[in-house]
Amino acid sequence: MADMLSTGVSGLLALQRALDTTSHNIANASTDGFSRQQVDLVTRPADPFGNGWIGTGVDVATVRRLYDEVLASQARIAGSGFRQLDTFSTYASRIDNLFSDVTTGLATTLQGFVSAVQTVANAPSSVPSRQVLLSQAQSLLNRLKSYDNSLSGINKQIDSQLHSEAGAISTIAGNIASLNQKIIAAQGFNQQPPNDLFDQRDRLLGELATHVTVNSVAQSDGSLNVFMGTGQALVMGSTAAQLGTAGDQFDATNTRLVLQNSASLTDVTEAVVGGTVGGLLQFRAQLLNPARNAIGQTAATLAALVNSQQAAGLDLQGQLGTALFAVGAVDVLPSKFNSGSVAATVTRSDVSALTTNDYQLLYDGTNWQMTQTDGGAIVPLTGSGTVASPFVAAGLAIVIGGTPQAGDRMLILPTRNVVSGMSVLLSQPEKIAAAAPLLTNAAAANAGSATIDAGQLSNPAAWVRGNYTLSFAAATTWQVADASNTVVATGAYSSGTPIVFNGVQVAVSGNPAIGDSFQIKDNLSGTGDNRNALQIAALLNKPVLNGGTVSLSDTVGRLVSNIGVQTNQAQSGRDAQQVVMNDARSAIVNVTGVNLDEEAANLLRFQQAYQAAAKVIGVANSLFQSLLDATR
Amino acid sequence: MRIATSTIYDLKVQNLLNQQAALSKTQSQIATGKRVQTPADDPVAASQLHELARAQAQEEQFAKNSTIVTGRLQTEEQALADAHSMIQRARELVVQANTATLSDSDRNFIATELKARLAELLSIANRKDGNGEYLFAGYSSGTQPFARALAGTVAYAGDTGSRYLQVGASLFVQDSDTGSRVFTDIPAGNGLFTAAAGAANGGSGVIDAGSITNRSAWVPDVYTLSFTTASTWQVTDSGNAVVASGNYTSANVIAFNGVQVGITGAPVVGDTFTVASAGTQDMFTTLDGIVSALQKGGSGEALRAQLNSSLNGSLQQLDQASEVLLTVRSQVGARLSTLDDAQSSRLAQLIDLQATAGQLGDLDYASAVSKLSQQSVALQAAQQSFASVAKLSLFNYL
Repeated sequence: MADMLSTGVSGLLALQRALDTTSHNIANASTDGFSRQQVDLVTRPADPFGNGWIGTGVDVATVRRLYDEVLASQARIAGSGFRQLDTFSTYASRIDNLFSDVTTGLATTLQGFVSAVQTVANAPSSVPSRQVLLSQAQSLLNRLKSYDNSLSGINKQIDSQLHSEAGAISTIAGNIASLNQKIIAAQGFNQQPPNDLFDQRDRLLGELATHVTVNSVAQSDGSLNVFMGTGQALVMGSTAAQLGTAGDQFDATNTRLVLQNSASLTDVTEAVVGGTVGGLLQFRAQLLNPARNAIGQTAATLAALVNSQQAAGLDLQGQLGTALFAVGAVDVLPSKFNSGSVAATVTRSDVSALTTNDYQLLYDGTNWQMTQTDGGAIVPLTGSGTVASPFVAAGLAIVIGGTPQAGDRMLILPTRNVVSGMSVLLSQPEKIAAAAPLLTNAAAANAGSATIDAGQLSNPAAWVRGNYTLSFAAATTWQVADASNTVVATGAYSSGTPIVFNGVQVAVSGNPAIGDSFQIKDNLSGTGDNRNALQIAALLNKPVLNGGTVSLSDTVGRLVSNIGVQTNQAQSGRDAQQVVMNDARSAIVNVTGVNLDEEAANLLRFQQAYQAAAKVIGVANSLFQSLLDATR
Repeated sequence: MRIATSTIYDLKVQNLLNQQAALSKTQSQIATGKRVQTPADDPVAASQLHELARAQAQEEQFAKNSTIVTGRLQTEEQALADAHSMIQRARELVVQANTATLSDSDRNFIATELKARLAELLSIANRKDGNGEYLFAGYSSGTQPFARALAGTVAYAGDTGSRYLQVGASLFVQDSDTGSRVFTDIPAGNGLFTAAAGAANGGSGVIDAGSITNRSAWVPDVYTLSFTTASTWQVTDSGNAVVASGNYTSANVIAFNGVQVGITGAPVVGDTFTVASAGTQDMFTTLDGIVSALQKGGSGEALRAQLNSSLNGSLQQLDQASEVLLTVRSQVGARLSTLDDAQSSRLAQLIDLQATAGQLGDLDYASAVSKLSQQSVALQAAQQSFASVAKLSLFNYL
């Protein structure tokens, strides 16, 4: 039976809820992750009446939050993408800044070293200028070390950040799982949606997406399952997995991400993308490790060139030169899962073929296979891996030791630790080999047109020091005799063909006459000779890397431009992604967010309706009073 | 369309932040004067800037090298000039000594002066540069190149190496000449042969330095020109075979095997003269020879003739020495002018490098300043519009 009073009261009560909700919206206008709520009003079932149905008032059907899962998930993905690029570009900028100063850059420092070699060439017998060269070698070393320290410092920071990211992800996952539990309970309580719990969970999901890209699937009981990477479950109902870090199989200090759930432990490093974690991993693989390797490659090449030129010259005391730089060895890291006792000795055999890649060696039971760590391309091996015939690939000579078992792996880092193990070996300035070892000249009485080149040591270890005379008993045959006139080598003459004896190599060209002779002397007293120093000074611009196509100064330029390009790309990518993210965010916030003007209008609307409903009760009351008055 | 109140704030604030960041970037560009602050600003330009800085440092090193070579060459030039004037003085003395009116004691005085000149020449040959390196020792710059051995001869102890310094990307300039080139390897005689009188000659025959008529007809050997009678001569080779013979009159020109020598005076039977294919003779030996010839004296016809012959040869030898010194000097001069050329092209290149670096990395102030004011205006407008939009609220009217 229709009842004006109860109809009025229903209006009062319903509008009271609407006003409550509006106040809740206004109060939460600035609450992060809050979705505005709306009271859904429905008419009460009408009462039948002879002439029709009489309405009986209004009821609150539910309090609903305004939310759009599609838009929200787009915003999360956009946010994930932005955080990845932002992390990448933040770290990239740090490397970028390392290479920003031109006057203290690697190219200028290398030139400083070469200029010091030139200074020695200018006055080979001057000990102070040799001392300058040693100091310049040390400052070149310091510069390389400072780059390497900065880069390995960044690497350490990434490791520790990955660790704390994993902790944060685990915490958020745990919170989502416990919210899942609360939501299931709340929904079971009155079959109504617990809007504020949903908001909290969605906010956590959004936060999770800033760490790593996640997918979520809503369940019928109101809970939400969360997956990361390629489908690894992070949250299942009210249980959450733990994300942690562990060292990789080759190198315990190289941090990887592992997911621990009740059943298993999974390495998810390769699977995760997006968010801060994705950015860190991408930066480490794409920019940091290649940059460290490139600096290592530059340093290894420089050291090899300087050292081999040193070995081919004579120092101020007339002795064969010794190495100027020591460098760190090639890192060979066997997997901790190896069943055999396999080990390998890897040396850099050819700096011109060195790359900035890292490699993996895998034994299949009969053969070894080498692959590039980045991309997995197979690198063909020559040789058999023995001391006599080492595997040769990518400028490396690999000798396998121990007993390998099928499935054994090793990681090879050809240039990663070159700089960390680098030092200047010479401490005495006299030890710099500025002079060439040989002094050749034609006898004054030579009648032929033949000339002799400056000569060089083809094999410094085999060099028997002393003065030699190369003479032509006939125009087509030569012989070399030592100081005591013992013949040490003879041969047929061909213009320009190197003549090799006792580790010495000279070339005579032109037409010698019978009886012509040339002297090949030990340059024992050549303290003023700078020929070897000039050779060292020339190495910066010599095309030696990459199979003899790229010079050291080019490779430094390439390093700088590569870092610049990647940083630049990351920065502009981040800026573009920021626009995408802002749009996606606005789209969802425009659905869920509180508009205060709207709420003010609602406040007025509901207030007026409330006042009207109250008036209904007043009218009902006066109607009833009229009835009472009529019967008084 | 509905927008949330928070959108108004979030987006506008984000906008303001972006504009501030851009403004700050422009401001820091203006403050440093650099367009390329880090490689990311312009990766290609950045790597070029690194290379340009390196190239500049390299050119500066070449300039230093060039200064050093120039200094050394000037030192060498001075030494060569000094040596040349010694040789010239010696020549004057020899000419003076060769006049018949001089007495033996006069010649002794001349010999004494020559000895002093010789010592001076030796000290020039042993001269050091500013670094304490011997100028004329080749690579053995720590070894004194010339010393008088116990036997009395001066031997070269340096080597044949010549040091080059790098003064351009592919330009190397020799910074010294060896002692053997400058002092030792002086062509003897006229370069082909020497002519000398026999030590036991009794006549007054004097041989001149000779000349070459047909170089290709010359057969290198030691020839002996002997007088079979006072009026007939014959030339025999080292195998005692007679190569030529003829009758002698004073001021005769004797020609054989493409060369000719002139003999004046009156040789007696049995006098010999030697015409030998020439090697080299160092300046010190030449001067030593003059001194000993002068000390031997020239009184009496035979001695006088021998002295005359000997001084004739010596004069030629001094001319050869002087020519070598002049040749080396002109080579040093050529090197100095190469250095000058290299210097001016280096200056041009440095300017070029700086200009390129400037174009690549330096800021265009005009456009940067106009960009700065544009960005300031935009930021100001954004701030003002934000403030006025933020003020609008329906609650103001409730």
